[in-house]
Amino acid sequence: MSIGIPTAQAQAPLQTSDVASLVRQDRVHRSIYQDPAIFALEQRQLFGKAWLYIGHESQIPNPGDFVTLKLGTQPVVLVRHKDGTVHVLYNRCGHRGAVVCNEPKGNAASFQCCYHGWTFATDGALVGVPQRKGYAADIDLRDPSLGMVRLPRVASYRGFVFASRAADGPDLDTFLGPVRKSIDDIIALSPDEEIAVVGGVHKYEFRGNWKHQIENLNDMYHPFFSHASTVEKDGRQFQRRSGDTEGAQIGGQSGGPNAVFEKIPLRGFPFGHSLCGAMPFNGERGGPVFEEYRRRLIARHGEERTRAILTVDWHNTIVYPNLCLQSAAQHIRVINPVAVDRTEVYVYPILLKGVPDPINHDVIRYLNVTHAAASLIQTDDLEAFERIQSGIETDGADWLVLARGADKDVEEADGSWSGIGTSELPMRNQYRAWTRYLSEGAL
Amino acid sequence: MPDSLHPAPLAKPTLAEVEAFLYGEARLLDERRFEEWEELFTADGYYWVPTEPGQTDPLTRVSIFYDDRALMRRRIQRLRHPDIHVQDPPSRTVRIVGNVRADHEETEDSRTLHLHTSSLIVLEYRLGTQRSFGGLVTHALTRENGSLRIRWKKVELINADGVFGPLAIPF
Repeated sequence: MSIGIPTAQAQAPLQTSDVASLVRQDRVHRSIYQDPAIFALEQRQLFGKAWLYIGHESQIPNPGDFVTLKLGTQPVVLVRHKDGTVHVLYNRCGHRGAVVCNEPKGNAASFQCCYHGWTFATDGALVGVPQRKGYAADIDLRDPSLGMVRLPRVASYRGFVFASRAADGPDLDTFLGPVRKSIDDIIALSPDEEIAVVGGVHKYEFRGNWKHQIENLNDMYHPFFSHASTVEKDGRQFQRRSGDTEGAQIGGQSGGPNAVFEKIPLRGFPFGHSLCGAMPFNGERGGPVFEEYRRRLIARHGEERTRAILTVDWHNTIVYPNLCLQSAAQHIRVINPVAVDRTEVYVYPILLKGVPDPINHDVIRYLNVTHAAASLIQTDDLEAFERIQSGIETDGADWLVLARGADKDVEEADGSWSGIGTSELPMRNQYRAWTRYLSEGAL
Repeated sequence: MPDSLHPAPLAKPTLAEVEAFLYGEARLLDERRFEEWEELFTADGYYWVPTEPGQTDPLTRVSIFYDDRALMRRRIQRLRHPDIHVQDPPSRTVRIVGNVRADHEETEDSRTLHLHTSSLIVLEYRLGTQRSFGGLVTHALTRENGSLRIRWKKVELINADGVFGPLAIPF
């Protein structure tokens, strides 16, 4: 029986009521990765409603500082206004619609459109119209829609700036819920309790749907196979963290290829968020630079709390649908769908204030190895994502299987889900949220 | 007369010698002779491809490649691994090196570095897709036991700050 919306017949607008038929408890229909109508629905219902990560306040420390970005295909500007408030503006002139600012980042007293010179304040308000007398008296130049329109909701959690394209919905604290702890954990790594997202950005893309990437991040089933080319004979991977003497144990132990990963805890949270437990690093970190770093943490927090801070108990935390934090190769990753079969990903190193410089240099060096476009790790996953996008073109079968460990999912009293190891729980949790978002009015 | 106590100053490479060296390097990469390519570098050599035009520091901003010899060996070891999926099948490449010019010389410890710039175009074909890359390359060359070696190589791609599909082999 064929279920779903064959691409060739997708002439009629997709109904939100059709969406539930594409997601089963343990599998999803291939059209959710292929159908431009579903992509458009996702853009409206999911990316148009959820809180999306935009950037970090350390990227715009001073009034007038801005960075330009894309949300999907929509150009936006993250900017700090002269009164210190942070805004996310659609990068669009209120007159004839041209992109106003082409600079990747900078500082501006105002933004001026190249075409007819309309000028906008850093909060988006229209402040200058050349030869203003040419407009009839009844045109209201104070109309916000003639400015650079603001995204209706912008909020920050400890410097992480999120925005929503929807005027209404749950507030940011409600949306983040338990994953706020992951942001707290990263900030705690800084002896000054402050991070800086000023180390540049890796940008990579793949010819595939964005959900391949978001499904991959807490998939503990894939590393042994996908990343086989990075594993030494002793089953260890290369070093990833400052002060370590060796890399994580990926394989080479008794109990089958994934013995190590079978022990890693998984959690699924409301709104599709999830995390996986820490990578199998073992052994004490050390060396003079690391000891100096540890000493600075102890000076602030004492021994016991420092030990807890340095033992981050998660590896990847996904804030669904567009953000992932990673603790080992410490970074912020933003997933940006640009078409149903094309995705861009931006990876920003998280630098720590108050550490010896070599600690931050190591963050940058290791992130090059793991997440550059030429990285030793990420590239094998991208190959898999592109092969999925090609493979599901076949008419062999319509469904992709996310059944692993489904009989062991545990729903906790607080509405979260627990599982272990190579379970596909994080993906099932994502599709619970996905279905809710895409079903009109259900959120 | 130079003797063992008073060696002759190390000869500055001619432009023709540098051109032959750079063409040879390009051919090693095109022929996937990565181990021989790595051997062109000095023991403390490095290979750098920044993510930003004008980037001056590989330690405070991320890079597409910033490999010392140990990381080059890791990368090459992986390129030889049967399960490097992103090179199954392998890329085919052809490089054009042109506009080779002597830049300036620097003294580093007891070594003289001869800096040369060149323009590089790389065409890559894999699995039905052809890509092109281009940029300005700087080689800091030094002479060891009479042979030219690479102290460092920096590739400034014209799209350094662009978005890249997966990359596996050095430019």
